[in-house]
Amino acid sequence: MTDQSPQAQIETINKAFEQDFERFFPYIKNPTALGLEQALAEQRAVGELRTRHLGKKSALAAAKKLIGRVAVDERARFGQQVQSTEERLGNLLHDVEFSLHNYIENERTARESIDVTLPGRRPRSGHRHPITLLRERLEDIFVSLGYAIEDGREIETDFYNFTALNIPENHPACGKADTFYTTDGFALRSQTSTVQIHAMQRRGVPVRMIAPGRVFRRDTPDPTHNPMFFQVEGLCVDRGITMAHLKGTVGELLRQMFGADTVTRFRPSYFPFTEPSAEFDFNCFKCKGSGCRICKNSGWIELGGCGMVHPNVLRVVGVDPQQYSGFAFGFGIDRMCGLMYELDDIRLLFENDVRFLEKFE
Amino acid sequence: MVGLAIDAVDEHGEDAVLDVEVPSNRPDCLSHVGIAREVTVIERGQLRLPAGEKPKTEGRSSDLTSVEIADPDLCPRYAGRLVRGVKIGPSPDWLVKRLEAIGQRPINNVADVTNYVLHELGQPLHAFDFEKLGGRRIVVRRAAPGEKLTTLDGVERTLTNDMLVIADAEKAVALAGIMGGEESEISNQTTDVLIESAYFDPNSVRQTARKLGMDTEASRRFERGADRDGVLRAQQRCIDLICELAGGVATEDAIDVYPKPLGERVVELRPERVSGLTSLSVETDEIVRILTGLGFERTGGSERRMTFRVPSWRIDVEQEEDLVEEVARHTGYDKIGSELPPSSMSGEYQPSEMQQRSLRRALNACGFDEAINFSFIQQESRFDLIPSLAGHEGDQPQLENPIIEDAAWMRSTLLPGLLGSVRHNLNHGIRDVRLFEIGRIFSISKAGELPDETLALGIVATGGVLEEDKAQAERDLDFFDLKGALEAGIDWMNFAPLSFTPTSSRHLRVGQSALISSSDGKQLGTIGRLAENVAASYKFRQPVYVMELDLNALLSGPAKVIQYSPLPKYPSVMRDISLLVDRTVSLAEIFAVVNKQQVAECRSVKLVGTFEGGSIPASKRSVTLRLEYRSDERTLRDEEVEESHSRLTSALLETFAAEQR
Repeated sequence: MTDQSPQAQIETINKAFEQDFERFFPYIKNPTALGLEQALAEQRAVGELRTRHLGKKSALAAAKKLIGRVAVDERARFGQQVQSTEERLGNLLHDVEFSLHNYIENERTARESIDVTLPGRRPRSGHRHPITLLRERLEDIFVSLGYAIEDGREIETDFYNFTALNIPENHPACGKADTFYTTDGFALRSQTSTVQIHAMQRRGVPVRMIAPGRVFRRDTPDPTHNPMFFQVEGLCVDRGITMAHLKGTVGELLRQMFGADTVTRFRPSYFPFTEPSAEFDFNCFKCKGSGCRICKNSGWIELGGCGMVHPNVLRVVGVDPQQYSGFAFGFGIDRMCGLMYELDDIRLLFENDVRFLEKFE
Repeated sequence: MVGLAIDAVDEHGEDAVLDVEVPSNRPDCLSHVGIAREVTVIERGQLRLPAGEKPKTEGRSSDLTSVEIADPDLCPRYAGRLVRGVKIGPSPDWLVKRLEAIGQRPINNVADVTNYVLHELGQPLHAFDFEKLGGRRIVVRRAAPGEKLTTLDGVERTLTNDMLVIADAEKAVALAGIMGGEESEISNQTTDVLIESAYFDPNSVRQTARKLGMDTEASRRFERGADRDGVLRAQQRCIDLICELAGGVATEDAIDVYPKPLGERVVELRPERVSGLTSLSVETDEIVRILTGLGFERTGGSERRMTFRVPSWRIDVEQEEDLVEEVARHTGYDKIGSELPPSSMSGEYQPSEMQQRSLRRALNACGFDEAINFSFIQQESRFDLIPSLAGHEGDQPQLENPIIEDAAWMRSTLLPGLLGSVRHNLNHGIRDVRLFEIGRIFSISKAGELPDETLALGIVATGGVLEEDKAQAERDLDFFDLKGALEAGIDWMNFAPLSFTPTSSRHLRVGQSALISSSDGKQLGTIGRLAENVAASYKFRQPVYVMELDLNALLSGPAKVIQYSPLPKYPSVMRDISLLVDRTVSLAEIFAVVNKQQVAECRSVKLVGTFEGGSIPASKRSVTLRLEYRSDERTLRDEEVEESHSRLTSALLETFAAEQR
């Protein structure tokens, strides 16, 4: 090298670069034909090219060191030539590097793009039983109204299932046609009203409680009957409790369950454990009273029974009916469930078909 | 809205037929007069009772026949009266039309009149062909065992001793309060009739009717309770009409056997009680108007304490609250206001409710759906295969009167129900099933006492580990999926971790079954893969995993206590070790050895993984552990870690005759 003139050296550098760079030149304009793998190889090759022509051991670097030793009159020119060569080579390399880099990034991005509509990664969730969903809501409502949640036995004595509830011994409900009995002569409770008695015996009065739970009646399973279902019994005994409080409470419950504009209606009825007694209906949440399949075109849906606790029931637990009065109400969670979700066959509730259970929550 | 719902109104000629729903305690409203009485109170009108011509009378009944009540408990009152010389024929048009309008089939004038008066007044009546009565007399008695009677519907019925019959001198001629007999039926040749008007014991009629599978207009009324003092009134009305329509001459009086007449019932009513119970304030005059209109008679008392005589047909009224209801329903329940009672107490959940809610949500999060099964189960062969969780074998309460065939046992384990649900799903083409149930199981602890009720948790799983929105599971479920779900539940409930020890149970496959104990050592239940023979009896062709435990026992255990300790100040050093051990060596045993060494710097040991197969001999398993070494005083030096680690390593290698990999 040193035996070449500075001028010749510059030329040699340029020539050598031109030769090496030739095949890269088109990439500046259009690297798309390359494909990702080749582009990556060419990117490496360009890197090598940069080292070879602009690196510390390059001819250009050697030429730079020469500047100081060139004759004074040529020095400025030579210096300029070295600088402009470096600049030109650097620009060309940068252009091709930039182009390849962009191309590679674009290719990569395209390859790594995902289908964002594929399902998120999560294990299948299970579901609470619809009866549980309603029971929990009902409990929350009544706890917020100051009620205690009570529970009692599912197998009961006749005393709690009938006698204490003012149901006479020979009442048809006590018969073996309607009520299940064990061979030991105990009854499967036919209503959660049994819990009224236990609760008053244990807690005394005043008392406010609801008792959700399983009850049993000898009905052959069909689309609207099951031999086992879930009921909620409510009880409020205090001084000065009237039917207006009963109406207010049932109305509040129905508004919370079926919407703020729900209207409640009481109809006189008969239950042995309440006097006066009523059945309660509410205006159909589906058609708002104009008539539909759910309310059987009546505009009203019958839900449960209620009334003022019968004085005989209060006396059984040692409460003076002249001092205290109270109301009680009861309804089926299964029936409420059937209405809310428009079930066509309530036998589904206890078949535990996964396709059914998945529909809730 | 007085408690008699009109279900339907149908046109019938010029008449409108109302279909009224009558509560079971109001048999008096199973009649036109009963309904009319309610209507007059609603409409503020006057009740006009039906009345006809007084017929010709001749002779005394007692000279012609006799009535004897052999069992006054079942028949407290019986009145018989004769009409002689009737001419049987078809009823006049007006009577035929009226009967047809209410769905009754006209027969002949005498039979139609008894039927008409039944619906008019609510008192069932019966007409016998007097000539056909043996000995021309009436005996009300219990049937002889096996005694036969052919009733009007042509069915020969075999009777039992608890059934009450109307008999003549020789044989039964009618089923008391239910249906007459064919032999003494009114025919075209009949000239003399005996009209029965009686009061029969409701329970006796109900039981007999049910036993014989009969349900008649008469039995329906007697079952609910007829009007004991209306017996003669209805008989008189019937005889008036018979004489008018069929001619004949009635006897002057009835033979009325009524050994123990009912006393009058007088009930007190304080107007303040009306407002006290219903919040309605009803004027005294209005109270009196309603009650008088309904047939109650004011007998006196002050304005603040009125007394009323209860009409004989109102068998439902016994005390003041019953009168309150009469006043309230005729004032209108819609007039009652609506307000929440003033609150003086705070609400409370069942003590374990929040834990149970956590448990449900944890199991849901692990992919398990909540199931609810019937509390009674079938006693099939496979039920014997699954041991009771509650009580001892054979201690399940049994139902005397199941409704679903064979489902006669109160469950003492949740598993048969859950496995039945699995089978239901498999039968419907659903292969991936994960279910849990929280419910009561039953056992008899002492004969003759109420059975024990225990809350249990049951879990079943089969098929693949499903992911949401994906059709196919990546892998099949195994024991550890079920165990993990249970552990998640325990954790969410804030209980200390359970322990699992190998066990054998006849419903679980050997080598894949464990006993579950609580942190305080109580045995709670079992978990494992269902044994082949049990699976086969359910026709399961894929592995099914089951778990059941005593939730009461778990819930009564100590809850986890949060104990905070400061974060470490000095760094930890982690060391992994892989051991090649016999397959019979459990991780619990390995951990036990590590803990036993009591190396102070060893702060935790965790499983990295286990490996079997490949180059590992069939009897061996590779277990990789990660041990954490740390001091609270300073940063441990390498030599210190090495010393501790080699101590533990050699203890493990020695104890289990293991090789280090």
